[in-house]
Formats: sequence, C-alpha cells, structure tokens
Amino acid sequence: MTTENKVGKLGDITKIIKDGDKVAIGGSWLGGHPMAIIREIIRSGIKNLTAITVVGSVDIDMLIGAGCLSRLMFSFVSMEAFGLAPNFRRAIEKEGLPYDELTGLAVIIGLEAGGRNVSFLPYRGPFGSDLVKYRPEFYKEIDCPFTGEKLIAAAAIVPDVAIIHGTRADCTGNVQIEGTSGTDLEMMRAAKKRIVSVEEVVSGEEIRREPLKTKVPKFQVDMVIEAPLGAHPCSCAPDYVFDPWHIMKYMQAASSPETFKQYLDEYVMKPEFEYLDAIGGMRQAAVLKRLAREVKYL
Amino acid sequence: MTQQAEDYTVAELMCVAIAREIEDGDVIVLGSFTPLAYASYILAKITHAPNSTLLAYAAVDFRPFALSFIRAESCATRGAACLWTMLEDLNSVHLKGRGDVEAISSIQADQHGNINLSVVGDYNSPKLRGPGGAGAPEVIKMHRKMLGYFPNHSKMTFVPQVDVITGTRYVIGAEERIKAGYRPGPIRYITGLCVMAKEEKDKPFKIESLHPGVTAEQVMENTGFDLEVPKDIPTTKKPTAEQVRLLREEVDPYGTVQFDFKPGKERLGYLNEILNKELQAIGYD
Repeated sequence: MTTENKVGKLGDITKIIKDGDKVAIGGSWLGGHPMAIIREIIRSGIKNLTAITVVGSVDIDMLIGAGCLSRLMFSFVSMEAFGLAPNFRRAIEKEGLPYDELTGLAVIIGLEAGGRNVSFLPYRGPFGSDLVKYRPEFYKEIDCPFTGEKLIAAAAIVPDVAIIHGTRADCTGNVQIEGTSGTDLEMMRAAKKRIVSVEEVVSGEEIRREPLKTKVPKFQVDMVIEAPLGAHPCSCAPDYVFDPWHIMKYMQAASSPETFKQYLDEYVMKPEFEYLDAIGGMRQAAVLKRLAREVKYL
Repeated sequence: MTQQAEDYTVAELMCVAIAREIEDGDVIVLGSFTPLAYASYILAKITHAPNSTLLAYAAVDFRPFALSFIRAESCATRGAACLWTMLEDLNSVHLKGRGDVEAISSIQADQHGNINLSVVGDYNSPKLRGPGGAGAPEVIKMHRKMLGYFPNHSKMTFVPQVDVITGTRYVIGAEERIKAGYRPGPIRYITGLCVMAKEEKDKPFKIESLHPGVTAEQVMENTGFDLEVPKDIPTTKKPTAEQVRLLREEVDPYGTVQFDFKPGKERLGYLNEILNKELQAIGYD
C-alpha cells in the first residue's frame, strides 16, 4: 500500500477550482488569508467566481480588482486602519458588482448548516435588520416547533471549494493552525472540495506530537500546497505579522484600475517563487517574523 | 492617585469613559484591532477590572499588552489562555447573551438604536459602500450593554434614521430584554462631545454628561435627532494623572489611540510614523 499524498503545486489548483465556482476564502481581517492561492487564481485566469467571506480584506479586494469575481457574499470587507477596500468600493459603487451582504453570524451559521448537511439552522437572528429584508433568500422567520418563539433560519451555505491557509500539514492533509482560525474549519466542513496552503509540509510523526493543534483532519482536505509566507501581505499568527508597508503600497496601487494593473504585473503575474524577492526578500520576511515575536505584556 | 490630569486629549478622556463602563468580571469581546476600544479595555483590565475576560481574534482571556497596529494579533494569540474559532465564540458567548460589552462604531447611528455600516444613500445605488457590519449588527442586541464610540460627534453620524439598518439593538427596555432572553443594559454612546444613553424604546437618548468645555447646545446642534437634555448635566469625569500616565507609558506607547481622531488624509502618514517607531524599537530602521 502506498501512503496517500495530497501535496500539489500551486498550478494544480485549476484541477479543483473551476470557472463559475463558489469559493469560500478562509482567514479573517488582515489575518491568515490564503494569499498564495489567491494570486494563483488570478494568474490562472479563473473567472466568474462567487467569493464567500466572513471578514475579508486584501484577498477579496485583489480578486475583485483582477476581475475574477462575478458575485460576492460577505459580511465585512475592509482594509482596516489602511482604509476602505478600494477595488471593492469601486466595483460596487461604479460597476454594479452583484453581492449578497449578510450579517457575520448568518454566514458562520450558514456554513455550519452546510457542514451539518441540513438546509438551515435557527437562531435568535437579526430581527429588524434591513439585510434580512434585502436578502430574503438567506433569512426566513420561523416559529420554534417546541415553544413557538420567533426565530431566524439562516440558509445553509455550501461552497464548491474552500481555500484556507494553515501553519503546517502532513502530506495526507492533517492541518495544524496555530493562530487565528476565523471560520476556516466551518468552511472546510461545508465545502465540496478543499485546498489548504501551509507554511510547511511536515511528517505525520510531527503532526502527532501535538495533536491538539490539528484543526482539520485529512479526510476534509483534497489538496495540500506548501507556500511559505503564503498569507503575505496578511499575517499568519503567531509566526508573522501582516506587512503594513506592502499594504500601504497596495492601497496606493488600488486607487485606480491603471495603477492596480501595474501592481498585478509587478507582484502577481509572475511565478510565485519570485514573489518573496519582489516584496523585499528574506530581510522583509525576517522583520515580519521578528515583529510577531516582540510582545510586551503589562 | 486620584489627582486629575492637567493635560489630556479628547481621545484619552473617551478611553477613560469607555474603561469606566467595564465592570470587574465582565466578558469583553473585541474584533480585530481598533485602538480606542483596545486601549479602554486594557486600561480597565490593568486597573479596576483585573478579573475581566478579554476575547479578540481567536484568543480568549489574553494577557493585556502594549498596543500596536501590527502586533495586536500576535500579542493576543501568544498571550491567550485558549484559542477558539469564530463558531466556538458564537456558541459560547454571543448566542447565549454571555458577553457584557463589545464597543462598536458605525458610519451612521440613529435615535432608535440602529446602526449603519452598509451603505450611505440608496442600497442599490450607493453613494458610499461601507465595509459591512461583521458581527456588530447582531452582537449589539445580544451583549448586556450596547456601547458605541464616535470620536466625531456630528449630524453626518447621528441621523434621525439610518439609510440602511445593518443592525439594531432591537430589544431595548429592561423588561423587553428579559422577555426576549437577554440581560438588560443600556445603549450608551461615548462621543467626542458627551456621553449619551437610551434605556427605553420610546424615550430619546439622554445626555448623561458633557465633556469639559462642551455645552448642551453644542451637542444638540451636532445631533440630527431630539435628545433629552436634563437641567443639570454633570461634566464627564476627567482622567486622573495616573490614568493618563498608564495610557501614554504602558498601554499605548506608540499613540495608536490618536489614529481615530486624525482627519482621513493624515491617517496614513500618522500610521507610517508609528510603524517606523515600532521598527526602531526592535533595532531596525
């Protein structure tokens, strides 16, 4: 018997992600987005995707700016301290990108419903919110069959593909995540296919040394891609922080479609192995890792 | 120790006012790094509320740390007693109404306890597409208190009716909240001018205190809806000298809290300054 090996190259994502797919993107805020996979989606020219995010940032903004999305499901997209997401704003305000804005809890609970293989889950949902009114296909008011209490049913969300970034995995797909896992686990349970990029592929023995860190078991993973610094310019807590200098460059570039195209040419439309050099090489990687270790408690 | 500070900023006054809202033992929920909220909670945690529980990112009961834009996530993660997913967070805190407070801010807020983080203008042809609400639209109902902070108190923010109700407190009065399965607590807004609160659905926001040097007229002129204005309104307590020292020297040595108070155009420049200081502090330049 040969040991199963799910390790693929970035270029292999096209075997799983197809034009028109609904893709759930892991990570949250400026943390842990699978940016190497995002860049590869752009490089491969995959189109007409529906992206699903709970709290997105540069991942969503970059896919929109590169023209990969035909629809967006989100509860929050922002570049945080750096400002509102420029491509996201432009696409919605000027170009009419269709979107489903849901409350964060409805996306998380909807993904959980998808993972449980039921069509909805009830909760004391967002009564009085206009989002319920604008997107009735995702929210229904129901009566509790036991008490009669009015509840909100959040519709199940079943992505075609989930993509996440983790700390390490073995070649069979047991994934450890040491930092912010956001809704990564719910996405992996709900999706039909799953790709994970990790900082490092390690042996099964190493995974078994600290099983409590394993968040996704191998049967929920279809492909593992080794992508060191693969969340950059986002963080991979607690190993490295997000790269604020790069994000400022990004913000400037994303301020117009023309300059954003230059950004894509400079950082994305090249082989991923050239990316590290483009962002400042080992020195920049060392700074981001050093910053993540410099903590001062009170 | 209780000596009032001679010299303090509005940001510091607001921090101390938010910190005062925290009671010892509270379960305090944070999202990603928002300087004013983090500074206030951490100040509370290292002074009068040492037994409060701080939750942010995946980190539960993280140790209080010196604030930083870039390092907040790694500090919280490395100092956590427990690491949760967002779903564990919801199941354990939010849905059960176990959270006491999560300070939020919003593009618009109205007299009914509604917030708008979605769109300014018509939903289908927006003038401004905001970021969306993440957890805010629902947790403001679930947590014991709804606490909002608004550095810029203006008619642009405080409107009679928000353009889009991203979320709402929904159940406001104590009786109504208990009936709906939530703990009673006020809606309280801490702004650049005053502290104001609403405790009943059919009653307006009431000015609870005015910041030093601010008049009730000034607050009314800058608010787009009617307020209850008591005859004698107390002055918001000034920070003590010790609170200001703690904020400047311990909690927020790089001055991240001032960020929310900078005009939009100056923000990136200010952020850059802070980042350079942080780099220098670890021996890079």
